[in-house]
Amino acid sequence: MYMKPEGKKRIWAEYQKEIPDDHFFYVRSCIRQTFFAGSEQYFLKILRDDLGKDVYEDPRHTTCTGIGYHGDVVPFETIQAVVARHFALATEAGYKHIAISCVTSFGIYSEILETWKHFPETLERTRENLYKATGRTFDVPETISHTSDIIYKFRDQIARKAKYHLIDISTGEPLKVVEHIGCHYSKMFPKYGVGGAEFPHVLVGMVEAWGGDIIDYPERRHCCGFGFRQYLVQANRGYSLFATRKKFESMQPYRPDMIIANCPGCTMFMDRWQYTIREIDGITYGADGQGIPVLTYEEVAGLVLGYNPWELGLQYHNVQSLPLLRKMGIKADPSERFLAKDGSRLPEPENLING
Amino acid sequence: MKTMSAHIVVAGGGVAGMEAAGTLAGMGYRVTMIEKDDAPGGHLLQWHALFPDRRPADEVISHFRKHTEHPNLRIITGTTVEKVRNHGSGVLVSLSGGAEEQADAVIVATGFELFDAHRKEEYGYGIYDNVITSADLEAMFNRGLVAKADGSVPSRIGLVHCVGSRDEKVNNNHCSKVCCVTAVKQAIEIRKMLPSCEVFCFYMDMRMYGPYYEELYRESQEYHNVNFIRGKVSEASVNINNRLVIKVEDTLAGRPLKMELDIIVLMVGMEMAGAGMRLAEASGMKRGINRFLESTDHHYGNNLSGLRGVFYAGTCTAPMNITDTISHARAAVTETVKYLNSR
Amino acid sequence: MPELMEDLYSRLLQDVRFEEGLKACMNCGICTGICPAAEYYNYDPRRIVDLVQTRNNDIIRELLKSETIWYCGQCMSCKTRCPRGNTPGMVIMALRKLSQELGYFTASEKGRQQFALKRTVGDNVLKYGYCIVSYDVDPKVHPEQGPVWEHYYNHMDDSLARLGGELNGREGPTRLIPDDVLDELKNIFKVTGGQALFDAIEEASEKKAEEMGMEFKKEGRDFEYYRHVVSADNSCHQNEPEDVRKDVYETGR
Repeated sequence: MYMKPEGKKRIWAEYQKEIPDDHFFYVRSCIRQTFFAGSEQYFLKILRDDLGKDVYEDPRHTTCTGIGYHGDVVPFETIQAVVARHFALATEAGYKHIAISCVTSFGIYSEILETWKHFPETLERTRENLYKATGRTFDVPETISHTSDIIYKFRDQIARKAKYHLIDISTGEPLKVVEHIGCHYSKMFPKYGVGGAEFPHVLVGMVEAWGGDIIDYPERRHCCGFGFRQYLVQANRGYSLFATRKKFESMQPYRPDMIIANCPGCTMFMDRWQYTIREIDGITYGADGQGIPVLTYEEVAGLVLGYNPWELGLQYHNVQSLPLLRKMGIKADPSERFLAKDGSRLPEPENLING
Repeated sequence: MKTMSAHIVVAGGGVAGMEAAGTLAGMGYRVTMIEKDDAPGGHLLQWHALFPDRRPADEVISHFRKHTEHPNLRIITGTTVEKVRNHGSGVLVSLSGGAEEQADAVIVATGFELFDAHRKEEYGYGIYDNVITSADLEAMFNRGLVAKADGSVPSRIGLVHCVGSRDEKVNNNHCSKVCCVTAVKQAIEIRKMLPSCEVFCFYMDMRMYGPYYEELYRESQEYHNVNFIRGKVSEASVNINNRLVIKVEDTLAGRPLKMELDIIVLMVGMEMAGAGMRLAEASGMKRGINRFLESTDHHYGNNLSGLRGVFYAGTCTAPMNITDTISHARAAVTETVKYLNSR
Repeated sequence: MPELMEDLYSRLLQDVRFEEGLKACMNCGICTGICPAAEYYNYDPRRIVDLVQTRNNDIIRELLKSETIWYCGQCMSCKTRCPRGNTPGMVIMALRKLSQELGYFTASEKGRQQFALKRTVGDNVLKYGYCIVSYDVDPKVHPEQGPVWEHYYNHMDDSLARLGGELNGREGPTRLIPDDVLDELKNIFKVTGGQALFDAIEEASEKKAEEMGMEFKKEGRDFEYYRHVVSADNSCHQNEPEDVRKDVYETGR
């Protein structure tokens, strides 16, 4: 590794954000709940059962409309009022700390809070709009955290309860981990991110606490390629694939064992495009040409704590994690990946990577 | 003559301070020059050669050494001026360590500090071995060896202009004036030392404002094959071969460009010195939005502090090259003498 | 709307994101240097900002009708870096909004795609309370989602149960959002101009479909114009000017 840790520590010290210790109001993510439902469930489980924290979820909360906002079909005034409605639900339930499961949402919450600070009239207009539309009023929350901030805060506690580590048990060597932050986490508002905008500490802190080594590669800070309309509209998808491919080509020489991703969208794209690239070009990336599993930080935390990988949802990635689990010494029966409600086996999907 | 026995304290022993102190001493005044480091000389001591003619910095240093060797001139080192205030008909000068000097006039010549390149996080200074500053490169010239951290010979070096200058993100909107010509000078020196090494300057505007600067720019292209790409570097990273990779827009082509480099040189700009800021804060001297000392009028009063008997010299007021700093210090001497004579 | 077509720059200034996004640009290119869109499309965010800061009505009108304002992926990497504190991505957002309000977006192939975004993400928000819902990600339309998604999609109840959720349940992931909550969202959209933007997109798109002689339906996605806008690709978007310097230096040495 060429990056000098003392240099980074110096920068991280400049960006210490306040992450509350307890009592969170939880808002879900369109993409995470759709594609990685297990991650959201295990975030709640880890916080509540392993760490004994109070996390409240009001089923009346909704999308923040962020994908629509960055797809340019939802105006700023509208998304401010939708987010304000979540603040109203939090206020009604007596919560002051918002825990956000999505990086796009987190960026939007940051943008809205900053806008309200610099243009107080926009806060007033939002209060009026929300009241007129729903009769609700709200307090501006004291803190907003991305859910990874919270896992970061308790990373050492998780490490103390660890059953497995990010270590290759056959060699004792740390796993080589690529971290991907997601542009909207802190590129827009560096002070809202743990460790700022350049190589934030949020995922590095987790990986190092749990035994892994971080890879520093040239396209580390580059976008995963979601690009909102660039993925959502079929004709534009080349953009998305191009950006992701560039990242993979750039990280490949370091032979990564896994990717840990902050943002649910990035997690999905970096997984899905590996399948697409294999189908188009026959290329599989990773240490042994077996693909690079792309995990959410909840999934990684869950593995470390010893939860069943198939209840975390690791099987719902195109790049299956079996070689990774073996390396970590986690015993998991691949035939139990795809089960029906009654516990019977479902037909297995074909053509998975490491299937 | 009564006035000739007047005592003048000069705060700072860099180019401006040395010029002012030596000149006043030569005119018969009693002068005390306060220098924060172990010896006078300021930033000049770190420089290898000077633009535009690449004369050795040592020549200028020995000039100033002679200029400041005078029985009327007392030099106190390892000390800073903490505060000045009017006291009786003169100025009471408080020094670090608690001592005080009673002066008839004070010249503030606290100078500049180089921008701390760590603050431009995206360029990786302090993180990547081969990202260095223009000052680090001068030190390499002094050692007579330009090499990568592992000792190997670089084959491509990039000089990044405007690091910490013209940049709202680091609260410096000003141009530091001398970095463009420094880059051209350093580019030529690299090319002379390492004829097989390609050199690129990444600039936003080439501000070759001084005499023979534009000529130096032309010379760098015509005789030394220095390349110029118009674009502010977006970020630097490192690849598996420990080569740096930069991203920049080649704005004249209108296309993003990625390039591998062995060494990146950050052309760090000038900022108001911390010691000067503390002095200004304690003494009620006004500073501009660029944090440099603000004189009473930037056309015809640009050595005047607004405090009775206190004058400004050199880069504590704005970025300047050595020639302009000397001129500004001489003007401060004129203002000081005019003031003393009128008392 | 001739009076609206007057000072377009003033219209942009009414958008707080524009006020935040553009102070003054010195064309340094730091935004383009790290822009994912600039690497893929024939696109230069610096150039857009420079054109907008002319404040020239005709230039801005041309931009609002152009392809180029639709290339940005809103990663906002430009915001971190700009030495003048601009955010080209936010300038783009303001331009796109105005382009839709004035109906100019249908003049370009990439702009016309806004109709598809409205009919997918936009409609989903008011129908289901989320931008994306699992039962709307049809593997036939999303082959890139791969075999794992096809499996999940076909066994959603079973798979979700394993992960602690229930499709259209009362709580948890992919729960059903009740009608009273959706009514609140609809009211918010009415009060804040969200519905008006939807209407503007629909109206201009219907007009464009008629002009192009294509079938158009008031709802859904199964008709000619929709299929056209999501798939049309005139293949000119990536045409790059020849650049020998880039070609040579990027291949490395």
